[in-house]
Amino acid sequence: MSLPRTEVQRDLKSAATSHTGDRLFNRSVTLAAFTALIVLAGIATFLGFSAVEALRTQGLDFLFTTEWSVDQADPKAGIWGMLYGSVLLSVIGLVIAIPASLLLSVFIVFLAPRRLARVMTNVVDLMAAIPSIILGLWAFYLLTPPAEEWQFLLNKYLGWIPIFQNDSGNFNGTPFIAGFVLAIMMIPIITSVSREVLGRTPPDLINAAEALGCSLWTMLRYVALPYGRGGIVGGIMLGLGRALGETIAIFFVLKLVFDTNWYKIIESGGGSVATLIVATFGEVSGPYELNLLLAAGFFLFVGTLIVNVLANLIVQRTGKM
Amino acid sequence: MTQVLDRERIAEWLQQTPQRPWTKKPVRLQSWIALAALAPAIIVALLFTYTDLPGPVLMVVVYLPLQLVASGVAAFATKGRQGVADSVIIVNAIGATIFSFVILFSVLGSLIVRGIEALWGEDGFRSSFLFQNNVYINPSTPLEYGGLGHAIVGTLMIVLIASLIAVPIGIATAIYITEVRGRAVPYVRFFVQAMSGIPSIVAGLFILTVLIVSGAIGQSAFAGGLAYAILMLPTVARTAEEVLRLIPEDLRTGALALGSTRARVVFRVVIPAAKTGIITAIILGVARVIGETAPLLLTSLKSDQTILNPLSDPIAALPTYIFDNVALPYPGAVTRAWGAALVLMIIVLLLFTLARIIGQDRLNKSR
Repeated sequence: MSLPRTEVQRDLKSAATSHTGDRLFNRSVTLAAFTALIVLAGIATFLGFSAVEALRTQGLDFLFTTEWSVDQADPKAGIWGMLYGSVLLSVIGLVIAIPASLLLSVFIVFLAPRRLARVMTNVVDLMAAIPSIILGLWAFYLLTPPAEEWQFLLNKYLGWIPIFQNDSGNFNGTPFIAGFVLAIMMIPIITSVSREVLGRTPPDLINAAEALGCSLWTMLRYVALPYGRGGIVGGIMLGLGRALGETIAIFFVLKLVFDTNWYKIIESGGGSVATLIVATFGEVSGPYELNLLLAAGFFLFVGTLIVNVLANLIVQRTGKM
Repeated sequence: MTQVLDRERIAEWLQQTPQRPWTKKPVRLQSWIALAALAPAIIVALLFTYTDLPGPVLMVVVYLPLQLVASGVAAFATKGRQGVADSVIIVNAIGATIFSFVILFSVLGSLIVRGIEALWGEDGFRSSFLFQNNVYINPSTPLEYGGLGHAIVGTLMIVLIASLIAVPIGIATAIYITEVRGRAVPYVRFFVQAMSGIPSIVAGLFILTVLIVSGAIGQSAFAGGLAYAILMLPTVARTAEEVLRLIPEDLRTGALALGSTRARVVFRVVIPAAKTGIITAIILGVARVIGETAPLLLTSLKSDQTILNPLSDPIAALPTYIFDNVALPYPGAVTRAWGAALVLMIIVLLLFTLARIIGQDRLNKSR
């Protein structure tokens, strides 16, 4: 026996659009929700125009050569040294930040007593809260002097390794210092993501591993790390995205030079796209040079966008597992 | 196959001495642990007193490897081969922890020590540094005169403009995801996440090319606020989304069942229920952008005066005030920069603490 049909069957979906006020509300909220898309598309279009213009006048040389003489009759511009520099700095940062953050999250999740773990979580959050200009100020006045001495020692005793070569005797404004500062910025990002995924390892798995006689290392190696691998990789890429776009802190500690510094990480001078824009903007010679900076910004945008999208996809995929 | 537990087997088991982790460790183990803990420190202390090697070099080149070896040996002696890998991880993890502590306290300590110089003189607390502006001040003017009042006003104005734009849009985005639940939800979330990865300098360039180069507006607080809004929007949207998700579904269906429209459900039920969480989202958004320097260098430039017109004139802000003063080759200017950095850091910390207290409150209430 079925219930008598009610006069109006309102299902919730249609209820949402059956009322004028609601329709208005839905429309405006939907419009607002697409602001993110509009901004992204706007950036891609407007900076993209500049990039097309730069590529049209400079050809592929804009991307693959290293030169910046734009105030002449025949302007030449190439940002290869900057693009490569951004990547080099990020790699140095990652080499320092990945082990440090993994160890830090292992300490917080598996080793530290509860209260200390909470303190460390706050320490990491605090590190993330430091504005980059303050980190740059600190790095310029407090990190650089001891870092110069360390780099001098590195060069003196390990100078036979190619990456520790230094021909100028000047250890100021090196990619190593800049990469170190980037590492300090990445550590809180990577740590907070990997702390979370390691903390989500099912306790049953850990208990089982310990019951089987696993030591801490074997438990990490065969249980916790494989379980959290995706999240950790995603966290690393989020950190990388942050590092690629970092501007001000690097402006303070890196001596910006246009020649490509291929591998001498403790030689004074390096490059970074974001820093190039800030450093050149103050004394920009005219609309053409400004256009080149906008084009450089476009390639920076594309690079960070790709890294970030990949990172988020990886983090999401592991979140669902 | 079932095993029969006969008396003899049980007796056999009972004869084995079970391991008791809670008993005192035997003297042999204790001595190994003491050796591993003390030997490296003693060796380094001796080297430090009797040679002229500098302390940091000793710490990194001598102490760390020695501690690794000593712990490894002790672990091998007490736990066998498996212990060695564990000891390496534990020593390094403690090392990484100390490293992050040192970095954080070096940054905060230097901020306090150097920043106090600007804020505190022989004459006591210099409120002038907080309230005066930079007019008639040159880099060699004594610190008693002039300050960052104009920069604080500028930062407040820029952040306010950014919030007025980013907060409604960010919350509306969150409402679209959790309340309207249109077909485009996965795409909207994707775009918001992609937007959170925009480098701050690119946000500045975008506003520069769209509004300033085209001549629509000048470099001003409004332009800076727009650039900040781009950076703020994803933080507000994502935090607000998380908060709205926590609102029980019963509240919504209950309100709908009483005959309210969708819009009323959102404005009268969901948002009031999530009020504190939404405030947290706003605070986190402000804290995210307030220290950003790069976009302001392109969009709001700088000024020595207190500017109250957000639309036409270049304006100073705390981050750009720091940036400009560091560039001046005078110790006085650098001290001003440190003072401004201390003020900025205190603001950021206050915002984060506030967000945490409010967030905690919400959690406690819901329990």
